[in-house]
Amino acid sequence: MTAVRTAPGLGARLSRSLALLTVVGLGLVCAAVYAVIALTLLQRQDETLDQKQAAIAQLLGERGTRHSVAEVQHLLGDVLAGHAELSLRVTAAGGEVIFDKVSAPAWPAKQRKFNVPVVAAGPAISVLLALDQRSDDALLQRLAWTLACTAVGGALAVSAGAYWLVRRGLVPLHRLVEQTGRVTAHDLARRLDGSGQPMELQPLIEQFNALLGRLDGAYRQMEAFNADVAHELNTPLATLISSCELALRRSRSAEELRDVLGSNLEELHRMAGIIGDMLFLSHADSGSDARRERVDSLAHLAGEVIDFHEAALQEAGLQAAVVGEAAAQVDARLLRRAISNLLGNATRYGRAGSAVTVRISRLDASSVEVAVENDGPDIAPEHLPRLFDRFYRVDPARSHADRNHGLGLAIVAAIARMHGGRASAESRNGQTRIGLLLREM
Amino acid sequence: MPGMKLLVVEDEAKLADYLRKGLTEEGFVVDVASNGVDGLHLAAAGDYDLVLLDGMLPGIDGLALLAALRQSRQTPVLMLTARAQVEDRVKGLQAGADDYLVKPFAFSELLARIQALLRRGRPAQTPAEATVLKLGDLELDLIRRKAQRAGKRLELTAKEFNLLSLLLRRAGEVLSRTELAEQVWDMNFDSETNVVEVAVRRLRTKLDQPFERPLLHTVRGMGYVLEARAP
Repeated sequence: MTAVRTAPGLGARLSRSLALLTVVGLGLVCAAVYAVIALTLLQRQDETLDQKQAAIAQLLGERGTRHSVAEVQHLLGDVLAGHAELSLRVTAAGGEVIFDKVSAPAWPAKQRKFNVPVVAAGPAISVLLALDQRSDDALLQRLAWTLACTAVGGALAVSAGAYWLVRRGLVPLHRLVEQTGRVTAHDLARRLDGSGQPMELQPLIEQFNALLGRLDGAYRQMEAFNADVAHELNTPLATLISSCELALRRSRSAEELRDVLGSNLEELHRMAGIIGDMLFLSHADSGSDARRERVDSLAHLAGEVIDFHEAALQEAGLQAAVVGEAAAQVDARLLRRAISNLLGNATRYGRAGSAVTVRISRLDASSVEVAVENDGPDIAPEHLPRLFDRFYRVDPARSHADRNHGLGLAIVAAIARMHGGRASAESRNGQTRIGLLLREM
Repeated sequence: MPGMKLLVVEDEAKLADYLRKGLTEEGFVVDVASNGVDGLHLAAAGDYDLVLLDGMLPGIDGLALLAALRQSRQTPVLMLTARAQVEDRVKGLQAGADDYLVKPFAFSELLARIQALLRRGRPAQTPAEATVLKLGDLELDLIRRKAQRAGKRLELTAKEFNLLSLLLRRAGEVLSRTELAEQVWDMNFDSETNVVEVAVRRLRTKLDQPFERPLLHTVRGMGYVLEARAP
């Protein structure tokens, strides 16, 4: 296993992001609340000052002349009643302090200075009015702390909650992991149990089960294939061993020995043929591509292969012809081989006296189909999809028919795949058609 | 081409021995090296007409040997390899191999390739190719594409005529099914069908059946040969 760079855990990542988002969100809300309250407080201070300034100005201006100093002091005291935060100093024109009340230890920063003329064009009384904001400031400070703490606390709560939720949400996944861990190569029939799993995981479970199904099929096929290979090679080997032993048991004439050697050579060629074909198939499986060249006439190419098969076709009482025409980018050598295998197949199963057709059709701009059609017994539908499997024989009794070793159609399918296409088979009403779909780049 | 010197570089003792035996019987003078180091030494020092080189060797790998040899000599090299991959073939030819044969191969095929390579190296001596070929009472007119035996005209198809003329041109030589498929029909793949057998059988009915002495013989496991055998 190669080391995989993993991303940080889903829970940690989610809770971190959510915490950050909460801090930002709550921060914005808190900032807005703080700003509104601060502004309101400021406004209220201004309003109080405005109101008191007006009251003092009126008291000193209009009525100041009619009242004694004691009365004025009393009236000013009334004006300030209930406003502990206000400080006021009223100085008469002569510099004599008429009223002095300081609420704070020192004069607060927020001050209003104004003069009130007692008589028109006469000396004015100067007034200093100040407002102590400390209580408002303290309020704002408390508010700021409360808001900040709430934001941070909320974020922590959300983060912890998210972490817990993700952990809880992933519990079914852990169960899936355990189930997956129990699947082995010998037990590919096992499937993941999707019950009780969240909806979001269902497609994954379905896909995984489908993958298991495909693997199961491929594995079974491979096992069967291995058995077939062993069997296919075992038969000629057994023949070889016994024929050699038999030849060596007694002294034989040169003629007899030559005959044994010749017969052994035939078996050996057969084995070499099987192995060569299997190597070709494994090479195709490992993703080897066709070496394409432009073939101007597929009909001509098919005609050449028919020429090659002419004698065998005639002997089987068959007539072969090419129908259709196309030019294409294909691997000519591989295509000849595929058509040759298909013609061999048609020769084997074609009804004597009937015709074999090699049909070439261009399906669209990038694909061409080459199909070989022959009359003959129908292949049962259950066999059709497996026709292209290695060593698959519709009729087991026909196995080991001397030169045909059951890889011909597998090679046809491999050649189609090497051209980016696929092979197909149909069989009905006494007609069998095996096609080769070739795609151009 | 008897008397020509061949070097076989092959580590598999049994195969090397069989190659030495077979090629000596064909009249070649054969040396064998069983590893890459000896092989390179011999090939570079000795005066060989052709080198048969295994692709996978202990000591030096076949391709490396070939590259080293090409520094000093242009001796024709026929590579033998167990791998059928096209890329290997391309690599071998790029490294300077003159031809390429995949194991397992038929001895007759090996012989044909060796002869072709040796012919290639020589100045072309063009013996005016005969236009009429004869063997016993069989006569083939290559220009008029007519065949007759004992004065009787043989009705052959075009491919049958080509098949017969190939067998006749190389009379006495056993030709494998693969070689016939390649030379007559230009089909260069191993076919699992028995089409060549059938074609030869049909030719035989026309060529030999009406006559007393057969000319076309089957050599079991090897192929076919056209020759007039003593009765």
